[in-house]
Amino acid sequence: MALSAAARRELDRILGPRGVVDGAVASLAYESDGLALIRGTPEIVLLPRDTAQCAAALGVLAAEGVPVVGRGAGTGLSGGATPVSGGALVGMARMRDVLELNLQDRFARVQAGMVNVDLTNLCAKHGLFYAPDPSSQQACTIGGNVGENSGGPHCFKYGATTRHVLGLVIVTADGQVLDLSQPRLEPDGYDLVGLFVGSEGTFGLATEITVRLTRKPAAVETLLAVFGDLDGACDATSDLIAERLEPSAIEILDRLTIEAVEQSVFRAGYPRGAGAVLLVEVEGSETEVATTVRDVTRIARARGALEVRSARGESERKKLWAGRKGAFGAMGRIAPDLYVADVCVPRTRLKELVLAATRIAAEKRLKLSNVFHAGDGNLHPNISYDRRNPDEVERVLAAGREIMELCVAAGGSLTGEHGVGLEKREEMCLVYGDDDLAVMRRVREAWDPARRMNPGKLLPVRGCREARGASLPRRAAPDHAPQAHGGSGR
Amino acid sequence: MSFNDESLVDYARTLDCIHCGLCLRTCPTYQLTGNESSSPRGRIALMRAVAEQRLDARDPAYGEELDFCLVCRHCESVCPAGVRFGEMMEHARASRARVSPKAAPLRFVRWLAFGHALRSRLLLSAAHGALSFAQRSGILGRLAPSLGARGAGLASLPEVPRSRDRELLPPCTAAQGERRGDVALLEGCVMPELFGRVNRATASVLSKLGYDVRTTREAVCCGALHAHNGDLAGARELARTLIAAFEKQAAGSSEPLPIVVNSAGCGAHMKELGRLLEDDPSWSGRAAAFAARVVDFSEFVAARLPDAARARFADPDAPYRVAYDDPCHLCHGQQIRREPRAILDGIEGLRRVEMPNSEGCCGSAGIYSLLRPEDSLAVLAPKLAEFQATGAEILVTANPGCHLQWQAGLSRAGSRAQVLHLAEVVDRALPAP
Repeated sequence: MALSAAARRELDRILGPRGVVDGAVASLAYESDGLALIRGTPEIVLLPRDTAQCAAALGVLAAEGVPVVGRGAGTGLSGGATPVSGGALVGMARMRDVLELNLQDRFARVQAGMVNVDLTNLCAKHGLFYAPDPSSQQACTIGGNVGENSGGPHCFKYGATTRHVLGLVIVTADGQVLDLSQPRLEPDGYDLVGLFVGSEGTFGLATEITVRLTRKPAAVETLLAVFGDLDGACDATSDLIAERLEPSAIEILDRLTIEAVEQSVFRAGYPRGAGAVLLVEVEGSETEVATTVRDVTRIARARGALEVRSARGESERKKLWAGRKGAFGAMGRIAPDLYVADVCVPRTRLKELVLAATRIAAEKRLKLSNVFHAGDGNLHPNISYDRRNPDEVERVLAAGREIMELCVAAGGSLTGEHGVGLEKREEMCLVYGDDDLAVMRRVREAWDPARRMNPGKLLPVRGCREARGASLPRRAAPDHAPQAHGGSGR
Repeated sequence: MSFNDESLVDYARTLDCIHCGLCLRTCPTYQLTGNESSSPRGRIALMRAVAEQRLDARDPAYGEELDFCLVCRHCESVCPAGVRFGEMMEHARASRARVSPKAAPLRFVRWLAFGHALRSRLLLSAAHGALSFAQRSGILGRLAPSLGARGAGLASLPEVPRSRDRELLPPCTAAQGERRGDVALLEGCVMPELFGRVNRATASVLSKLGYDVRTTREAVCCGALHAHNGDLAGARELARTLIAAFEKQAAGSSEPLPIVVNSAGCGAHMKELGRLLEDDPSWSGRAAAFAARVVDFSEFVAARLPDAARARFADPDAPYRVAYDDPCHLCHGQQIRREPRAILDGIEGLRRVEMPNSEGCCGSAGIYSLLRPEDSLAVLAPKLAEFQATGAEILVTANPGCHLQWQAGLSRAGSRAQVLHLAEVVDRALPAP
């Protein structure tokens, strides 16, 4: 699916200096997102500066019939931004401008490549913030968050990205611009914006995003409860939910994660040697916070917390959160690669399913750690591995699948916040039948009849009946096969 | 696998990177281009691909990404996996120069500078004499346009100070007031030529704090520029000379003499000499002992200033507004952020303001500003705007490269703000005991 010379020249003209990147070096740097297990080789990487450039470039690609993958910062963990071999990758990293900041009506309109944390920094001095805070918020983009409907610790209280997107400008597969940027709480007619959020780049590319800004709470307390083991922390979470307490975030980190974080630049002061810590943030009015803090402390102690303490001031609070958010990267100290499973389970069954995941990993001789959004029942069983070991890779994939099957069977879901991407597309059959998926395909084709936008993601490639019959060899597509390499050991 | 340049890249180190991407936002070249191959994570992926023989180390685009990096090491400050990116870049550049020797841009200039000039006081002086002549005679101004972008870089160099400003410090500057001890001071290679006044201010502050300040003429350059640009053999050779010179100077001292460094780039490199020479059994122990003695000017002074007389820069009722810009190799290379600010906050007549991205690179990066002037200025541009927005009258830095870069940038922008080294500020404020 090579691009014609004329099309290439046209793209150069549209995108200007440093706007078109190709060759071995570019394709290697872009071969995967945060899911390093699956890789592809883009034919070309395009870096537009605004909606007009993006639309013009997509027009050229449409005429050439080239597949298009959108990409924010490439921090996603389900392979949503993995390039499609022979296709174009459209990176949003040069689209970082604020287009409008409306403090009265409390919304901002930004370009898709704006980094999540920059948006919060931008409005902090006005007493506002952007609520969804994925752990990768120091790098990930608002556009990527829209594509994946990203979450984050504080989404327990505030809800995931879709709750905060008020409008979008979308460039469609054929290079048309669809302007839905006017902030609306209630759309006239179909809620196309709502439909688009979480479509993982299979409908089109969001280039401008209108987001809701949230007022900072009057009071905040961050509690750290230290447990001897993971069970106590899980039980305490189930109790918090059962008692209908409403902290803004409830997070759990286990022993291995604590060790890795405490060795890193994000050292947070989690007690080393603890079996688990429960990190709870409480926000609201002074009285609300005081009451909730008392209740959380009581519940944590009843479930065996060895210590419950409050962050002393803003800087300690920031450290506690930075440690939590650096946890994925910190696992680089354990092994070269990390598989981050992302499943949701009923919060009454946290302990049981965490235990089951641990058992599955142990059976497969894999190293498992846990750091997760306990309040949402969003588990992240993390498996450390080395992608150069094909046998280990097989075991990781098998464990991932078993964990998903178990959680779905327990009434949970395939994905909490990372999206389906390439990682879980075949597992969509665990949740949906062929009929359901056929309807989804029709919705997708309404946006992109030629199915050129992020092909091969989100929806299973084969029918479920067929897939259920086979053993689901995930290496069907050679480009996406993990490759093993020789070389010196680590 | 230890630090050596036998393999093309430090393969084991590339495996530390788990591809999380938290480094992206800090990287000046990624900020400039939005291109992931110009990001730390991308460059590590390229290094790994070289080691796994999926990329030819002679690929010019690979070389370009290595050259484009400023080695500011901002990524190291935010890397949860503890990737030692600066070291990996030095390694990769060294092996790249070996497999593809023709690829080095301005090879002659590098050969002259790294092979000869920086090692010799006489040649450094001659080089500066020539530049000085070219500037004062107007030749440079006429010649520069024909040299393209690099000529513009040369033309924007600040005027070389007159010869009396370039005199070296005496072997010992005596303590003033009550004597508290001895310290060694690194004069450096470029510093005496371009910023003799900073060295004099440094010695003056230390002497006012009660220290005999001792220098050595047996070592010139610490080798930081060599290492950053991939000449590891040259860097090791200079390191041995440097260590021997400071050992000799300290002979007879009962305690290890602190070596005060007023150049962040040199200090960061000198603190890591233990690693540079770790595979050399006869030097590794000496290098580690030497590295342990190295202390940045701000670290040394922040601990002692409160005991000294009250420092006063100006009338407290009419204070100067100052902004401190963290040199990369101080905040990221040495994790020193608090001390320079504490020093400035302790001086009367200064009102310190923070710049939003004070930890971002200014684009100087050693000889980068000469090799890639356009990129260097593009990296500076947003910082320049942020500095001007603070309304500060003085920009304080702690590294000669950053000092030059800010001077050039501010003068181009028509700003009247001054650039001062932290030592100059303290010297002006601190009365003699």
